Amino acid sequence: MFKKLFNFKAYRKKSPWILHYNAGSCNGCDIEILACLSPKYDLERFGVLNTGNPKQSDVFLVTGPVTFRSRERLVELYNQIPEPKVVVAVGSCTCTGGVFRGMYNVEDGIDRYIPVDVYVPGCAASPELIIDGVVKGLEVLETKTKQIEVPFKLSTSPEQKDGIVDRTNMSKRIGDD
Amino acid sequence: MVEIALILLTPILGGLVYGVERILRARMQNRIGPPLLQPFYDMYKLLDKQAILVNSYHIVFALLHMITLWITVALLIVGFHLLYVIFIHLIATIFLVLAGYSVRSVYSHIGSNRELMAMVAYEPILIFIAVGFYLVYGTFDTAVIFNSELMLDKMILLFMAFLIIIPIKLKKSPFDATEAHQEIVGGVELEYGGVFFEILYMAKWIEYIFIFTIVFLFCADSFILGMVLSVVIFFVLNLIDNATARIKIADLLKIVLGFGIILSIINLIGIVYV
Repeated sequence: MFKKLFNFKAYRKKSPWILHYNAGSCNGCDIEILACLSPKYDLERFGVLNTGNPKQSDVFLVTGPVTFRSRERLVELYNQIPEPKVVVAVGSCTCTGGVFRGMYNVEDGIDRYIPVDVYVPGCAASPELIIDGVVKGLEVLETKTKQIEVPFKLSTSPEQKDGIVDRTNMSKRIGDD
Repeated sequence: MVEIALILLTPILGGLVYGVERILRARMQNRIGPPLLQPFYDMYKLLDKQAILVNSYHIVFALLHMITLWITVALLIVGFHLLYVIFIHLIATIFLVLAGYSVRSVYSHIGSNRELMAMVAYEPILIFIAVGFYLVYGTFDTAVIFNSELMLDKMILLFMAFLIIIPIKLKKSPFDATEAHQEIVGGVELEYGGVFFEILYMAKWIEYIFIFTIVFLFCADSFILGMVLSVVIFFVLNLIDNATARIKIADLLKIVLGFGIILSIINLIGIVYV
């Protein structure tokens, strides 16, 4: 019984708190995400909360084909979420760039910037698919460790001194490199 | 013996109350809602998260806030000077305000400012309530009040003033401008991440117990009336929370100070002269 009580990993998937970020989406997927929390689909029965605060979140729901303006914020938000964390890319644009692929003002999908765990396709992704994606993401969350994950671009590894990890200067601005 | 068990189990009891509240709120919105033990699942998850801290004072103030609140509830249950209990509760809130000012985040500062404004609104009413208890029962000692005869009819207006300030303390609409989720992202609790947020999360549960202990104090020795009133207040509180929008902090100050102070002063004058 005590083993079950102190098995912290088992409780990760029982209380996933969501951070929702719009990286230049058309709002179609955002409306569907909010529909998931509404009475018809009721994601809260799985313990899901829409926190709006990166420091208290576990699941990072991103919509939109990362526009140039949203790159810094995407990396900054990702760096602020404490590990273990899971990234779910919602919608075709977020997975591959969708209809915007190859345009001069977008990066084709968020996986050029941050590691993605679950891809949810669709334009717009339906609420059923988003719920499936979040549930799939929770399976990934259970296997994750507390090791710090670093974005591919616009970010450096955190500084370590005397066993203390300093994340203050992790995220870079666009002109920095 | 019962009192000591009650004091030790305060956070667990508060967590259960919070779990019931989340289900009740979901049912009012035609949803199913999370399981009853959801707050404790959240607790376990937060304990397992990586700890991110901004500075050490920030965490110490949060810990002090939680412990002081717990002591306040303990003193109220065991039996202590009611005025002191209210002032110790004030100190607990001051710790939270200091925690908000100890970081550089602007949202945290706004949260602290609003917390101070709300304090200006509800603190005089709490003191008037303590004075009312003294005038009615002839003592400030909560243990004596808990064993006295029920005299709620003499302080019914003070009780109504207390009802007005409950939503401020429990961060409920329309008086939740101090916390304001999505608007200032939780205010003071903004910079807490991972395991440290658990401290504030638990303090919120203890606040529930503090408020409902005062409801029991109004009912003196009548435990059943206290139980009934608590359940009714709990239900109506969530109904109002679901049905109303957030109001500005300046309007909160006007409404609470206006109605609350007038109600309590009429009651106090009534006790003395009638």
